[in-house]
Amino acid sequence: METMVEIKDLTKTFKRPDGTPIQAVKGISLDIYKGEIFSLLGPNGAGKTTTISMISGLIEPTAGDAKIGGYSIREQPIKAKQLMGVIPQEVALYPQLTARQNLEFFGKMYGLWGKELNRRVDEVLELIGLTDRQKDRVQTYSGGMKRRVNIGVGLLHRPALVYMDEPTVGIDPQSRRRILDTVLQLRDEYGMTVLYTTHLMEEAQELSDRVGIIDHGDIIALGTQGELIQQVGEQDRLILNVGRQPVSAELLKELQDHIEGVTHAMYDPPGSGENSHSDRGLITVTATRGRRALPEILHRIAEAGLEVQSVEVREPDLEAVFLNLTGRALRD
Amino acid sequence: MRKILQIVRNDLRLFFLSRENLISLLFVPVVMTLVVGIFSGNAASESPEMLVDVIDRDGSPLSAQLLEALREANSSLILCPLDNDTAGRCELDGAGEIGPEQARGRLEERVTEAAIVIPPGFETGVRSFEPVQVTLYTLEDIGVPEAAEQALNAALQRVNGAAAAARTGAALVSQNGLLPDEDSRSAFAKQVYDRASQIWAEEPVTVNFEYAGDPPSGGPDLQSGLGQSVPGMGAMFVMFTVFGGMTALAEERAQWTLQRLATAPLSRAQLLGGKILARFVLGALQFMVVFAVGIAAGIQLGRDPLALVLVAFAYTLSITALSFALGTWIKNEAQAGGFSLLLSLVLAPLGGAWWPLEIVPRAMQIVGHISPVAWAMDAFNALIFNQARLPDVVLPIAVLLGITAVAFAWAIARFRYEG
Ligand SMILES: Nc1ncnc2c1ncn2[C@@H]1O[C@H](COP(=O)(O)OP(=O)(O)OP(=O)(O)O)[C@@H](O)[C@H]1O
Ligand SMILES: [Mg+2]
Repeated sequence: METMVEIKDLTKTFKRPDGTPIQAVKGISLDIYKGEIFSLLGPNGAGKTTTISMISGLIEPTAGDAKIGGYSIREQPIKAKQLMGVIPQEVALYPQLTARQNLEFFGKMYGLWGKELNRRVDEVLELIGLTDRQKDRVQTYSGGMKRRVNIGVGLLHRPALVYMDEPTVGIDPQSRRRILDTVLQLRDEYGMTVLYTTHLMEEAQELSDRVGIIDHGDIIALGTQGELIQQVGEQDRLILNVGRQPVSAELLKELQDHIEGVTHAMYDPPGSGENSHSDRGLITVTATRGRRALPEILHRIAEAGLEVQSVEVREPDLEAVFLNLTGRALRD
Repeated sequence: MRKILQIVRNDLRLFFLSRENLISLLFVPVVMTLVVGIFSGNAASESPEMLVDVIDRDGSPLSAQLLEALREANSSLILCPLDNDTAGRCELDGAGEIGPEQARGRLEERVTEAAIVIPPGFETGVRSFEPVQVTLYTLEDIGVPEAAEQALNAALQRVNGAAAAARTGAALVSQNGLLPDEDSRSAFAKQVYDRASQIWAEEPVTVNFEYAGDPPSGGPDLQSGLGQSVPGMGAMFVMFTVFGGMTALAEERAQWTLQRLATAPLSRAQLLGGKILARFVLGALQFMVVFAVGIAAGIQLGRDPLALVLVAFAYTLSITALSFALGTWIKNEAQAGGFSLLLSLVLAPLGGAWWPLEIVPRAMQIVGHISPVAWAMDAFNALIFNQARLPDVVLPIAVLLGITAVAFAWAIARFRYEG
């Protein structure tokens, strides 16, 4: 398989305001192949944006390098940049200008002029579904529309490689659906290579050919979804809703240590972390062949005086991989 | 180059899309320049009128000339009874003449600030090189008459100047022994004196007014007011406009468009060059606006407009460079806004944009020259008031370009795209 991006020992150390160093990316190496959608999956602060910033030439790596289509981003940045379209996590547009003006200006920065530019702008407006609103100032757009223009700018010059940094953050489900469809379309119809970052397991699952899981600046797992899930083995996740009843640490320890097949048990109180429901306390138990362990688990919980309100059994997925590797949920 | 020009075009478009920017580029500077110009121009003529009694015992053409020179030296002097008008501003109570007793009384009653007595034989005395004494009477305990004294000295200097010229000419001639006897020497000296005094009568100050055409009010005063306020306000508003670039850059960082540009296939030189050029153009435009106001109000720009343009160019360049150099420390928009305002408001008065540096203590004049404004104002003053030409203002231009070079080198080395 042909390599589009070759990342080698890429490292970034920032200085905090008080002068202490913070290693945002710790010497990661990975290859992204031509024509694939590669997802970088990791929680907030994992180092996704920092990685993209380095391989797009925005910030200088502390160490290491990345080759884009053979061009080193450090040695031949302009050649490398010409190959890529960057869609930043922030909406990077001039709010005072219309969508069309934004597209035209950035198009010129990628060396598009005249008729060619016009055609591409029309095409992109079509693709992002904003042809009829193109003459309106971006500041009058909804969040979802802005995100679409933000994506459009990165696609104007039909790059062979597209970086998308959490393009669906903070938008409605409908716009999100559109964006995910567009990503698939980029690979399937235009043959583009896509590097997609997200902290949402579902997105990575739906889109990716391959996934890199990043945590605390390290790639902790890398491969196709099948390969990653195999690493976890036959681990199911059982999610038990106990409402507002208090859950003791002893109970969790008991579940984890005394039931055959259970590898991990954790508790999300109502309204905490991933668990945004204020009246649902969730016990998550990871177990090999979880269905078989379920009766025993329910029994122990009942013995502790708790009433289980509902149970959900989840097949192994990327979330389970992350949990297995870090002992934390992805959205911690 | 094409990309640079597009960046410039885009930045200018963004600038002009903001109504606020238009107001601060056009409206405020225009108003400020005129107000400050008229105010500082009238400062001299509107300083409280000073009544001065004149007892002219000579009544000669030369004494008349002296009084004329006196009026010119300080326009707020009102010479009585000569300058009395129907409104009776000399407060003479009907008397047409003023005698010594009356003058003393008026002085003691503080009606007048001073009295000048020109002795009989003043003209003959001056012409025959006899020492003559013009007396200025004041009440010693008041400070005001200093102005009268200065004016009198200035006027006498010119009368004496003519006399001195004549004397020099005569001395020269006598040394060379061209003229045989006392009489012919004295006749010759008289000739030289007449000549000199004729030249004097036609000469300086009036020349300045002559090509002022038909100025709106008080001609020379507005002229000197605008001569200070146009370059001064120009220099200050150029700072406001150009330093605004720090805010614009911080804003572009916050809205991530700068980072987006940084990931486009542009060289640093192209990106930074475009940003810098855009600000320079706005600064130059700002100068043009202020100077256009000045020209419309009838300011005289001196003999060397090209030199004036070069000074404005070098100054705007230095401010642009300074802005990008200082901008490397700026973290966000709020910082940029506060800092650029503070900086403008320090550098402008320090450099003499609000008032001529000549009126501040010597030490402050020297300190003031850490501000590029001071160098620009030096050059502008020389060109506008002293009829200087390009070679005379090479030093300030060189200093401004030096500041530019250092600041740009710093800015280019230190510039970062991300915050
Ligand atoms: N300019 C900076 N200065 C100091 N620390 C930084 C800087 N940029 C990022 N960091 C730190 O580096 C780490 C990685 O940040 P990064 O933005 O790459 O995470 P991320 O995976 O993109 O997170 P998110 O999902 O929230 O976007 C974080 O701890 C962050 O605080
Ligand atoms: Mg990020």
